Amino acid sequence: MSQQIYPIRHHGPGSARSVQRALEANPPATLLIEGPVDADVLLPFLNDPALTPPVAVMAHVQGQPERSVFYPLAEFSPEFVAIRWALARGVPVAFMDLPASVTLAPKEGDSPTGDEAAGDVAAEPDAGAAPTALPSADAVRADPLALLAQAAGYSDFERWWDVLVESRGDGETVFSAVTEVMAALREAEDGQTSARDLLREAQMRQTIRAALKRGSVAIVCGAWHAPALTPEVLAREAKADLARLKNLPRVKVALTITPWTHGRLTQASGYGAGVTSPGWYAHLFATPTQVSERWLTRSARLLRGHGLDASSAQVIDAVRLADALATLRGRRLAGLDELTDATRAVFAWDSDLPLRLLSEDLFVGEALGSVPSGVPAVPLEQDLAATLARLRLKREAATRELTLDLREDAGLNRSQLFHRLNLLGVPWANAAASRGTGTFKETWTLRWDPEFSVRIVEASRHGNTLVRAAHLAVISGARRAPDLEALSALLEVARLCGLPAAADVTLARLDVRAADADTAALLLSLPPLARLARYGDVRQRGGDDLRPVFRTLLIRAAAGLLNAAHGLGEAAAQTLHSQIVQADAAVRLLDDPEASTEWVSALHALDAPGTAPLLRGDAVNRLRDREVLNAAQVQVRLAAALAPGAPPLDVAAWLVGFIGEDGQTLRHDPAALVLLDAWVVGLGPDAFGEVLPALRRALSRLEPHARRRLGEELRGLERAEPAAQLNSELGAGVVPVVLRLLGVGLPSGDS
Amino acid sequence: MTTPEVLRQHAEHAYAHELAALAEHDRYPRPPKWNLSPRAVLTYLMGGWAGETEITPKYVGEARLMEIAVATLATDRALLLLGVPGTAKSWVSEHLAAAVSGDSTLLVQGTAGTDENAIRYGWNYARLLADGPSEAALVESPVLHAMRQGKIARLEELTRVQSDVQDTLITILSEKTLPVPELNTEVQAVRGFNLIATANNRDKGVNDLSSALKRRFNTVILPVPDSLEDELLIVTRRVDSMGRSLGLPELPPALEEIRRIVTVFRELRAGVTEDGKTKLKSPSGSLSVAEAISVVNHGLALAAHFGNGELSPHDTAASLVGAVIKDPVQDGVIWREYLETVAKKRDGWKVFYNACRAVS
Repeated sequence: MSQQIYPIRHHGPGSARSVQRALEANPPATLLIEGPVDADVLLPFLNDPALTPPVAVMAHVQGQPERSVFYPLAEFSPEFVAIRWALARGVPVAFMDLPASVTLAPKEGDSPTGDEAAGDVAAEPDAGAAPTALPSADAVRADPLALLAQAAGYSDFERWWDVLVESRGDGETVFSAVTEVMAALREAEDGQTSARDLLREAQMRQTIRAALKRGSVAIVCGAWHAPALTPEVLAREAKADLARLKNLPRVKVALTITPWTHGRLTQASGYGAGVTSPGWYAHLFATPTQVSERWLTRSARLLRGHGLDASSAQVIDAVRLADALATLRGRRLAGLDELTDATRAVFAWDSDLPLRLLSEDLFVGEALGSVPSGVPAVPLEQDLAATLARLRLKREAATRELTLDLREDAGLNRSQLFHRLNLLGVPWANAAASRGTGTFKETWTLRWDPEFSVRIVEASRHGNTLVRAAHLAVISGARRAPDLEALSALLEVARLCGLPAAADVTLARLDVRAADADTAALLLSLPPLARLARYGDVRQRGGDDLRPVFRTLLIRAAAGLLNAAHGLGEAAAQTLHSQIVQADAAVRLLDDPEASTEWVSALHALDAPGTAPLLRGDAVNRLRDREVLNAAQVQVRLAAALAPGAPPLDVAAWLVGFIGEDGQTLRHDPAALVLLDAWVVGLGPDAFGEVLPALRRALSRLEPHARRRLGEELRGLERAEPAAQLNSELGAGVVPVVLRLLGVGLPSGDS
Repeated sequence: MTTPEVLRQHAEHAYAHELAALAEHDRYPRPPKWNLSPRAVLTYLMGGWAGETEITPKYVGEARLMEIAVATLATDRALLLLGVPGTAKSWVSEHLAAAVSGDSTLLVQGTAGTDENAIRYGWNYARLLADGPSEAALVESPVLHAMRQGKIARLEELTRVQSDVQDTLITILSEKTLPVPELNTEVQAVRGFNLIATANNRDKGVNDLSSALKRRFNTVILPVPDSLEDELLIVTRRVDSMGRSLGLPELPPALEEIRRIVTVFRELRAGVTEDGKTKLKSPSGSLSVAEAISVVNHGLALAAHFGNGELSPHDTAASLVGAVIKDPVQDGVIWREYLETVAKKRDGWKVFYNACRAVS
């Protein structure tokens, strides 16, 4: 009836190898792993050839997929290695920690900062992104072994473990040494063990006691728990444990295995027991010897793949530098720190580009796990099924068209569902061109492809519900977005998906990235922002938080506008012109006084020598339209721009800017027409002759019928006076009919 | 030993007592020809204690960078210190050479006019004509001298040197030998020889290193000071000492004003505000600490001779704008954006904002 404790470090490749060796040397009758006992049913899947790590054992409250716990397992996790070892040899293996049904049950005085439950989706973007198996953020609790390594002068525990354990090959004694150290550590903070830890350890001891009846037991647990699982404690606490575990509140949970990623194993992802560099650990696990050499060779090969210089000679130099650094720092083996420093000094020259290239490929070593088909459905799939039932939609392989009215809740909800699924890489519904001009109508083509089910499983790494997954997908997209344009597009997507919190995060990124952007990108980012601020109200949000961002972007754009408009070719001027038109529409749409003032002064600045004539004419027209310039001032500018002697192409471009690309200014704004007309009429015959080609050129862009109407109007202007006079008697005759049409009753007692 | 009257002493003389104390208490193995062990060199650079003697820090910043530098010298790869002007590259190289080989004078200053002779060897032409080619007629360059003696040679501003001259270094660094075809012989470097080069990474493209040469260097990039307080300290101290040497009238210390200038420099250089909330574009100039010092000095001179004797934003605005806007078009936009999006909104910066608007 012997028991052997293997205190390990979660996701520690060194621990994994030591555990495996110890198990080979001393096979137990039963193997117990730290993990929820109710997840035992899932254990057989872990040895399925179709399962590729990283995966996570996941438990969630039934009907509330957002309340969940994850137990991530990577290829190099000691738990995973031990489980696979046992399953391959037919050794009974079981979990021994508190069942998830207890862990997830609402506790008395449950604090809002509850460890596991993801809680409010709208709150923190990352909260609950990776709820952890280790509940406490406390550094000592979370990774006591790393602190020991630091005390020994190693930044990297795994290398220390290598120096201490692997190279000496005496795995088993070291496990009892670790247990002793942990016992000393825990004594130091005696009485501070949390109530939850007490419960968890009581459960572990209960499981161990039961297993001991069937023979020898090997226990794989986080180092912290080891001192609480020794035979002495087992005997001492036997009675107390029974009492502790009585009448615990429980909740109905569903358990499954989901694919995981290395990215979500990193500390940066918010995972408490996360590691800094999963790629490094995977490398350590897969590479027993020549660790530095292989790591740096892989770095060099990856850099070469990106088209950067990285020769074998440099690899040799880097290895030597890493070793020299380790010696200087008093370490026997070079760790990730030394290797990173050496990589930077040897390969990077004077940019951080190589390291950035490596960070994703090598340091995180992105890997996506997969699970066999038999495992229970992921909660995201369940959530999708529930949502589809609620919205009365069916997944059919046949193509089907659906038109939605966004003014109704049902239409809006469906539209958001389609947008969210598209965002998650499940293009079930494709937007089709909608008939009619109303913005409230959307037409979709639906066609379900069986492959989408797989994509749902993949998307479930983002979150357990559609809202949560879409939310996180937008946020991770915002983090990776290369430029302002992508962010603006994402903002639009967030608006269409109805994800206000994600829109906020995107907005913040937009604000941050604005500094890198050029004027064109800044101008282009304005329209989606204005739309969100303006039409966001429909989806219950005020535009107040958007206005400051809009203003900042506008101010930045305005500051660079004059330079951007300077000395442009015709094509470039046209591009910038269309951007200005969009930005101007955005400013009008938002109708924010401060932003408008900034914009007007930027337009004012544009009306200066050197600016492309197209943009100058456009600016003058916009200022006239806003009544910043009065008729007399516009006359002066017209005269200056069209003055004889100016290059005809410039004059024509100015005119095009002034009257609009298709002359809409002249068509819709009689005042502008009068102004232009008055100026032309005022020209002497010689001067008119000189201006005529330019005028022709500008007006030739108008459609024939528009030109004809313009001509008619001009003729009307010439005999203008009588036509403009009002006959109020005739006019009054129409009033009753119009009122009837509008459905307004005539005021009584009036004829 | 140099007399104390010299304007500036070499590092190995100015800090002779520290080096002696370190050598005395050094118990780690020393690489061949090194005066100190790598660890003691590190202590010399970063500060600490050698027995009873306090070692002053020579470099304020990340110890990691100095570790890489020292470790590089301990292997036989050459060291290249990169950084914008005013980041203590030459300072670090001088102290490294002083600590490792007790001699920081084996220096070649790189300029556009540096020729091969300055890096290899020249000839004493009187001798050459009289006796023909001989060892005696050979004039050693500092690099050749360092090779013979097993010391550290220094090459300042490597990227200023023409590319073909730069490539002279390739044989020296890879084969550790320098052929002298005229004498049909060669000089082989003794153990302990190594080279520290410095270069300015703002001048990229001037005379970029060939990739063959690049490969022979380990690079350490020296960053600008890490924290606002560090930089503020450097600027105030230097302004203080320079003001005295330039004979400027004593002025009350205008810490607030200096802090503001340092803040503007740091924010524009880093491309982000100190609170990290707003991103900014960075101007084309290097905005080094040295430039911040000269802006403050200029302002002090204005305040002392033409102003009310107190440093105000009006005294600094003109030279600050001059320091920021090096390229009238691009930098102008960046500066305007900075004024409008950052300076305008900051509490207590109104006077500064207006002063800058007035001269921008």
